[in-house]
Amino acid sequence: MSESHETLLQQYLSEHQTAKSTADLETLRVKYLGKKGEVTELLKGLGKMAPEERKAVGAAINDLKNRIQNSLDESMRSVALSEQNAKLNAERPDHSLPGLYPSSGGLHPVVQVAREVADIFLSMGFFMAEGPEIEEEYYNFEALNVPSHHPARDMQDTFYLESGQVLRTQTSPVQIRTMEALKPPLKMIGLGKVFRKDSDITHSPMFNQMEGLVVGENISMADLKGTLVMFVENMFGKRPHRFRPSFFPFTEPSAEMDIQCIFCEGKGCKVCKNTGWMEVLGCGMVNPKVFDAVKYDTEKYTGFAFGMGIDRIAMLRYGINDIRLLFSSDIRFLRQF
Amino acid sequence: MKVLLSWLKDYIDIQESPEKIAEALNMTGLEVEEVIQPGKNLDQIVVGKILSRDPHPDADKLSLCSVDVNRGQPLQIVCGANNMKAGDKVPVAMLGAKLPGGFEISRAKIRGVESSGMMCSKKELGLSEDHGGLYILDESAHIGEDIVKALSLDEVIFDISITPNRGDALSHLGIARELSAIFNLPLHRDPLSNEDGEDSIENHINVEIEDTSHCPRYGARVVHNIKVGPSPEWLKDRLEKAGLRSINNVVDVTNYIMLDIGHPMHAFDLSKVEGNKIVVRNARKDEKIMTLDNIEHGLDSSMLVIADANKPLALAGVMGGLNSSVSENTCSVLLEAAFFNPTTIRKTAKRLGMMSDSSYRFERGTNIDNVPIALNQAARLLKEIAGGKPVKGLADCYPKPEILRQIRVRTKRANRVIGINLTPAQIETFLLRLKLDTRRDGEDLIVSVPPYRHDLELEVDIIEEIARMYGYNNIPETLPAITSVLQLPTALQKICTRLRDHMVSCGFNEIMTYSFIPENVSDSFREKKPMMLKNPLSEDLSAMRTSLKWGMYDALRRNILNDEFNLKLFEIGRVFHPSAGGLSEEHTRLCLGFSGSQNPRDWRRNGENFDLYVIKGVVENIAKLLRVKVKFTTGSCSLFHPAMQMELIVGKNHLGEIGQLHPEFIDNKKMPKCIYLVEIDLGKAAEASEGASRMQPIPDLPAIRRDLALVAPESIGNREINKILTAEGKALLEDCYLFDVYQGKGIEPGYRSLAYSLTFRDLRKTLTDEEIQPLIDKMIGRLDRELSVKLR
Repeated sequence: MSESHETLLQQYLSEHQTAKSTADLETLRVKYLGKKGEVTELLKGLGKMAPEERKAVGAAINDLKNRIQNSLDESMRSVALSEQNAKLNAERPDHSLPGLYPSSGGLHPVVQVAREVADIFLSMGFFMAEGPEIEEEYYNFEALNVPSHHPARDMQDTFYLESGQVLRTQTSPVQIRTMEALKPPLKMIGLGKVFRKDSDITHSPMFNQMEGLVVGENISMADLKGTLVMFVENMFGKRPHRFRPSFFPFTEPSAEMDIQCIFCEGKGCKVCKNTGWMEVLGCGMVNPKVFDAVKYDTEKYTGFAFGMGIDRIAMLRYGINDIRLLFSSDIRFLRQF
Repeated sequence: MKVLLSWLKDYIDIQESPEKIAEALNMTGLEVEEVIQPGKNLDQIVVGKILSRDPHPDADKLSLCSVDVNRGQPLQIVCGANNMKAGDKVPVAMLGAKLPGGFEISRAKIRGVESSGMMCSKKELGLSEDHGGLYILDESAHIGEDIVKALSLDEVIFDISITPNRGDALSHLGIARELSAIFNLPLHRDPLSNEDGEDSIENHINVEIEDTSHCPRYGARVVHNIKVGPSPEWLKDRLEKAGLRSINNVVDVTNYIMLDIGHPMHAFDLSKVEGNKIVVRNARKDEKIMTLDNIEHGLDSSMLVIADANKPLALAGVMGGLNSSVSENTCSVLLEAAFFNPTTIRKTAKRLGMMSDSSYRFERGTNIDNVPIALNQAARLLKEIAGGKPVKGLADCYPKPEILRQIRVRTKRANRVIGINLTPAQIETFLLRLKLDTRRDGEDLIVSVPPYRHDLELEVDIIEEIARMYGYNNIPETLPAITSVLQLPTALQKICTRLRDHMVSCGFNEIMTYSFIPENVSDSFREKKPMMLKNPLSEDLSAMRTSLKWGMYDALRRNILNDEFNLKLFEIGRVFHPSAGGLSEEHTRLCLGFSGSQNPRDWRRNGENFDLYVIKGVVENIAKLLRVKVKFTTGSCSLFHPAMQMELIVGKNHLGEIGQLHPEFIDNKKMPKCIYLVEIDLGKAAEASEGASRMQPIPDLPAIRRDLALVAPESIGNREINKILTAEGKALLEDCYLFDVYQGKGIEPGYRSLAYSLTFRDLRKTLTDEEIQPLIDKMIGRLDRELSVKLR
């Protein structure tokens, strides 16, 4: 590049530095590359040159032209974009106005908890079974080793229908119906509404239970413990737990499972009645009498069962102090979930 | 059941702390609900004697008392209670004392008068909820003595909840036996008192059992020379702390034996027993008995009674009769201890709606071997505290002595069920601690079940005992090594899950209402005659719902009365229809409820109210989600506005309905007029749901779009116009939809304008306007001829 070309380029670059708008850039373009522009003029001068000289000078001028052209194009793009953005920014909306899409609703808190509980067991290879809410006495009691004149019937105050059936007092009849239909090995959970004649801030005549059953060869109490510990750790986080002997007619041995109180971390509070523990579920090894009722071979198969109140877990989880709120349909309550 | 630590110590030398004992009982299955230590927080509270009581100079309701607490000068105490007089002895909290409620006693001026201490009520001492004035103590209390000592409050009481299988634990002996096993301590039992006395029982009473299946054993003893009166303090104290009221020395002795060894007893006034005879028999038809609680019961032959030669004296195992009860004039008593069949007692108690401490224990099974022990101990106690002279011998009718049950336990099986690895010797040690006699047979153990352990029936019951003694918390934690049979969710289960998520995304809140509803709801809310509860909690919860609409209506209404007017609610639940043979059919339904504005918080559009078309749109969306082809036809629900409703049909079947609530049910000023309900049967929807459809190729040839604005008489519906457009569009009409409906300026009254967008496409070649125009001309022609619908 000749000295004069170099000077011209430097002149362009210094003028380019002060060009701020698309209009300034356009002025520059006309000045250098327009019909009468300085570079155009140089090109026009080529015709007067000797052919051998023309080739080299022509290439140099074209190089100069390209540089200026590229520089202008590039600046034009970025200046145009920022000018557009400046314009767009002028339309700035009120970001603090609420959105207008219809707001979403909410699942019932009991359903939310039931899903959470079910998901844990489904991930562990359980399947979900169902059964009727109006149940034959046989399925609700006799098949579960609660004969008709047994004090264990006092454990649950039963609603009877005029037709002679009962409103199931527990989801355990689902176990019986499942075992009648399927052969082991099986791992099932059953979820649903159950009914007991009781009503106060911790008892509702209708509430929700989740039931579980595992039957196979060599199923032991150690398996029961391992399974339920895995459940509570996933549901409530890793925390101390314990199993206490208890009594349910359909399991033997029977147990209740406690976890360290989730409110006071075991220090003792009102919720755990200062024991530091809270009961989360009942469980046990399936009583052979129950297997007899469904014609399972009691020598070959053993199994365990468990059950828990979903409403109670929901109450603990959300700090709900009156179970009846769950069934109140009060939107001021439901909106919180 | 309340159990006293001092009483347990009659049987076992236990030194552990109350907390440790409670923990141990909990961990072996006897749930301690509360450990009560009445004297624990009572410090610096002493017996005081009121020397004088004068009115407070400056307050009508207060008194000024001078109280001697045997600490030099009497104390001056201002008091608000009114039940005391000079000479009374009362508990006095001294300066610095802290009451169980946390209140600390300090020197105070009350209405200008100095008060140095506080006289207390039972409630203030935390002894009962009774706040009826000061606790007036017995005259014999020693002035200045610590109240804990004076009231023997230095006791630990365990309140234990005992599961129905453990009748053997319903006594101090039973709990002590359990503790002896847990802590491996010896259990002391009173040496059996001999059957001392004069005379001979045969001269006084003869026992006869009609049916030994109801009563395998009945024993009686006679004690003469009884002076009925109050019990000594120690006896009263134990009974009251265990939660029973002291009645008189005779009744108290029978109750004491019950709490002590778990055997319920009864005492008859011997002079009222006719014919020197006790007969245990079924009641005769039309027999009656007035029980101790002054209620007369008509009896029937399913009930067991204790009778003399002529009349029933007691409802066996449940409650005594008034005619033979012990009174202050009684001087000879007949003591009863028996073993009744648990089922017989339960049936009688249930039929008569009675429950007593006695029936509670008999229902759960008592110890048949305790019959003579109970009688002899009661006789001994009556001799000690009521001056009684026992007659020698027992009338013990026990025709077929029980044979101890033997259970074989296989070591391998026990280990397999529990998931541990014990030796037969280890198992034997556990069982012996539980007083279960055990004999080895190779690897097996033969266990003799004592007569009080009615819960031990099968091998697995013994396995539970082994697990309890081993400690549930020492059992390892493993996972089951099985793979379950596969059961996928049913179509209905899947639909419910999808719908719940869908409804929530659409802004609905889920409700859960009771499955039972009031009996007297309007028939409009019912689909069938409901199944009725025999024993409802109340009339409002007595009929099984046959549809979800009442629950939804009730939910909307109650929210509206709380000033929540804008609602979108849904419920998925079952309804119950009676079916043949008294059985029930359960149908899973979806119910939607709408009230008020569609978009109450929309600051741009001003809250449009719900209308039938919006509701229909919601349902169309659901149908699309569930892949169900729904037809909307004219509905006829009496719950709905007669015109503003539609029936949903799938195939030829009823699927549900949608509609605006009939004004008849808008029964409160607050309720908006436009309340809409939808109910859909999800079982039928699941059946009608179509599988995934095959993909249609994306057309690569252009379409031609035409809009038609029509003017139609009001009586002509979209459906009729649409039918002609579709018919005449033939295979080339790809899509046809209504995009505008207009009435008003520019349209003659009685007419409306309907605008349709038509899309034509030929999948094989590019269409031209010339090919479309004849189709449109034919449409317009037919619309005009058949429906008087004209181009606008």
